[in-house]
Amino acid sequence: MKKNDKTSTDSSSLVSDKTSSSRRNFFKKAAVYSASAVAASSLLSPVKLSAEEKDDKFITEEQPWATSLGYELNKHPYGVPSPYEHNVVRRTTPLLSSAGDMHAAVSLTPLQDLKGIITPNGLFFTRTHNGVARIDPNKHRLMIHGMVKNPIVLTMEDIKRYPSESVIHFLECPANGAAEWKTPQFDSLQFVKGMVSCAEWTGVRLKTILEDVGVDPKAIWMLAEGGDGSSMSRTIPVEKVMDDAMIVYAMNGEALREEQGYPVRLLLPGWEANLSVKWLKRLEFGDKPWYCKEETSKYTVLLPSGKAIQHFYPLEVNSIITSPCPEKPWTDLKKGDIVEIEGLAWSGKGTITHVDISFDGGKNWVEAKLKGLVLPKAWTRFSYIYKYEGKELMLESRATDDSGDTQPTVNQEKKIMGVEGVYHRNSINTWYVKANGEVHNAQMRS
Amino acid sequence: MLKCVHKTISVGVATLVLTSISAFASFNGKREAVDGGMIYPRANGIYTAYRYNDQNISHFNYGRKPTPNELKAWDTDIMPDGTGLPKGKGTVAEGDELFEEQCAVCHGDFGAGGLGYPTLTGGDRASLTNQRTPGKTDAPKRTIGTYWPKASTLLWYIHDAMPYAHPKSLSWDETYAITAYLLATNEIKLDGKEMDDDTVLSNENFLKIKMPNEDGFIPNIDGPNGVKNVKAFLSDGKNIGAVGVRCMKDCKDDGAKLVVVKDPRTDVNPPFSEVRDLPKKPKDSSIKPGQEEYEKSCAVCHGNDKMGAPDVGNKEAWAKVMKKGMDKVLATAIKGTGAMPPRGGSSYSDEKLKQIIEYMYSKSK
Repeated sequence: MKKNDKTSTDSSSLVSDKTSSSRRNFFKKAAVYSASAVAASSLLSPVKLSAEEKDDKFITEEQPWATSLGYELNKHPYGVPSPYEHNVVRRTTPLLSSAGDMHAAVSLTPLQDLKGIITPNGLFFTRTHNGVARIDPNKHRLMIHGMVKNPIVLTMEDIKRYPSESVIHFLECPANGAAEWKTPQFDSLQFVKGMVSCAEWTGVRLKTILEDVGVDPKAIWMLAEGGDGSSMSRTIPVEKVMDDAMIVYAMNGEALREEQGYPVRLLLPGWEANLSVKWLKRLEFGDKPWYCKEETSKYTVLLPSGKAIQHFYPLEVNSIITSPCPEKPWTDLKKGDIVEIEGLAWSGKGTITHVDISFDGGKNWVEAKLKGLVLPKAWTRFSYIYKYEGKELMLESRATDDSGDTQPTVNQEKKIMGVEGVYHRNSINTWYVKANGEVHNAQMRS
Repeated sequence: MLKCVHKTISVGVATLVLTSISAFASFNGKREAVDGGMIYPRANGIYTAYRYNDQNISHFNYGRKPTPNELKAWDTDIMPDGTGLPKGKGTVAEGDELFEEQCAVCHGDFGAGGLGYPTLTGGDRASLTNQRTPGKTDAPKRTIGTYWPKASTLLWYIHDAMPYAHPKSLSWDETYAITAYLLATNEIKLDGKEMDDDTVLSNENFLKIKMPNEDGFIPNIDGPNGVKNVKAFLSDGKNIGAVGVRCMKDCKDDGAKLVVVKDPRTDVNPPFSEVRDLPKKPKDSSIKPGQEEYEKSCAVCHGNDKMGAPDVGNKEAWAKVMKKGMDKVLATAIKGTGAMPPRGGSSYSDEKLKQIIEYMYSKSK
C-alpha cells in the first residue's frame, strides 16, 4: 500500500502539478514514438487520463501480474513472444500466390513492427516454389563439381568445420512492391514493401571451399540447385562467387529456419534473394549459362520494347518510411507535437550514404540522419525529428548509395522500365498523410 | 575486441555522414562489381566493415570425391546446347493424355490457364509490348510460345519440378511426351515443321526445336563474353532505370500528381491488426481442469520434495493424504496447515480447489 501511495504522489507531482495539460499530452504522445526525442518522456505514462479520471488506475491499483506468481521460466524451453504481440506476424494474400495455394507463394514481413536492422527469424519474409522442404540434416549433402579440379561431396559437419564468418545482409525478393507498378493497391507498409528482411548470417566463404576444389579459370558460371521439390536453380557468375558469396547455415545466432533453407543455403549479398538458393544441394561450374526456369520464364524483366532483361542481379537502392505508415498513423498527434520520422534504407550495390525526406511529394528535400550500424548491403536506419503541423503531407524518403545510385521517381523508373516488368521496382514511395493524421499509400505519378 | 569493432564502425559512419562524394571510399569500395555496384576489399584495416581471420590458411580438404554413380544421380540438368540431354522419346498424342491426367488440374485444359496457376499456352509475341497504362487493359502474355527462350528449360524443369505435388515422378519418355505436347499446343516448330499428334520428340531431334522468343532477352549471356556483357549492361543505369537524381530544391517531376490508393485490397491473412491484446484462446483439450491453477499457485511447493508439502508424483505421500477422504483434504486446503496458508495463498473457490486437488492426485497415482 505504501509503495502505491508513493507512486501515485510521484506521478501527480510530475504530471498534474508541475506540467500544463497540453505539455503533458505532448510528452505522453512523444513517449509512444520516440524515447530519444524527449529525455523526460520515459518517466511518464503514455496512457491518457480521461476527464473523470484523476489518476491512472494502472498506477494507483496493484495489477494481477504484480500480486501473483509468474509462470515457471522453463515453460517455453524455446522462448516465444508475449501473446500480446500475436498480431505481429508475416501475412499472405491470394494475389501473391497461385489461387491461394501457399506452397508457391510469398509471406511478407511486418516492417511496421520491426526495430533496428535485424529481422527476427520467425518474421523473415518467405518465398517458396514447392512448399517448405523439411530436410534431415544428417542426410543432407552438398556436391560441388563440373569444371573443377577436385569435385567434392560435403556433409553438414564438413561444412560447419570450415572457419566461419558472420555478416549482416538483407535479402529481398525482386518482386517486392510488384503489386504497385500500375497504381497503389495495398494500404499497408507490410504489403507495399514487406518482401525484404535483414539478418546476421553465419557460414563459410564459398571462396574458402573453392580454393580446395580448384575452379577451372574457363568456368565463368556456376549453377546452384536446391534440394526442395522444385529443385530451385539459378546460374551465377563466378566473379560474384569469388567476391562475397557464402554458404550459410545459421541466421541470427541459430540454425536457419526451414523457410530459409535449413540446413544450408547460398547467400549472395545484395542480389535477388531467389539467387541465394535455399536447401542448397549442388554447385556445378561451367563455361555456359544454364537457362534455368527461374531465370527465363520468371525473374526476367519485360520492358516496353517487348525485350526482357535477364540476369538482373542487384537489388537497387531503396528506402521506406516505417513510422509513420498506414499501420502506424499519426492520428493521435496534435499540432506542435514533436515526433520521429523513421525508416529503413538498403542497397544491393553498396552502402547507404544519404537518405532525404520530402514533405511535399518530392519537390523539396531535407537530409535525414543515418543511425545505428551503416553496413554494405544491409538495412540502414534513418531518422528525422519533425514538428507535426497537423496538415496534409506527401511524405517521401529517397536513399542514395556509395555506388552513386539514387532512388528514381515513379515517373523516371516508369519511363525506362514500363509497368509490366514485375521485378526490381525501387522508385520513391509516397505516404499521403491526411490532416487528421491518417496515413495512406500513394504515389506521385503521371 | 568489442571496443575495436565499435571504433571501426563509428569511423565508417562518420565518413559516410560527413562526406558526399568521398563517401565512395567509406569502406574502400570500388565500383567494379559484376552487378555494376561496389566491391569491398577484405582487409583488417579500420575502414572495413567486418574484421575477419586473415591467417593465410587454405586447403582444408574436407569432404570426399563423389562417386560416378552419385554424379550421375544428381547431375541431371539439361543445357540449351544439349549437354545432359537424356535418352528418351514421346509423341504429342502421348503427351496430350499425360497432360490431361497430370497437369491440366492446375494449368487448365491445353495449358490455357484460368485456374490461378501459370498459363502455358496462348497469346502471341506481339503482346509482349502491351503496357497496362491508364485506359489499356491488355496484358502481355508470357507463355512457353511467346516468352520462354529455350526448350531445354522445359524438359529439365518438367522432369525435376513437376508434377507440382509429386515432382521427379515422370520418366524421361513421359517428360519428352509432355514437352512435345506443350510445344505443339504453342505451335512451335520442330525442324521447321509443325508438330502433329504423331510427331515424336526425342534426344535425337530435340535440338531442332526453335523457340520463337529466343532472341527476346538482353543482355547476351552466351559465349565467353557472357558475364562481361552482363556487367557492362548492369553498370549503365540507363538500362535498368537507375536514373534517380539527388535534387534537393524545386525538383521537377513533370505531370506527377498524387495518386492515393483507392479501394485497397484487404484479402490478407491473418487480417490486418496492430492491436496488442491476448489472442482468442483455442480450447486445449490436453489441459486438465485444475492444471493451470496448480502450475500457477501450487507447484512452487508441491512440485518438489524439498518443501515438505506432499509432492505431486509421489504415490506414497498422496495415498496417505487421500486416505483421509476428499472432504477433509479440501477442508485442510481451505484452512491451511503448517507452512501452507489458507487456500495456498490463492483466492480460488472451493470448487476450483477441489479440481486442483483432483488434478494433483491424478498425477500421483
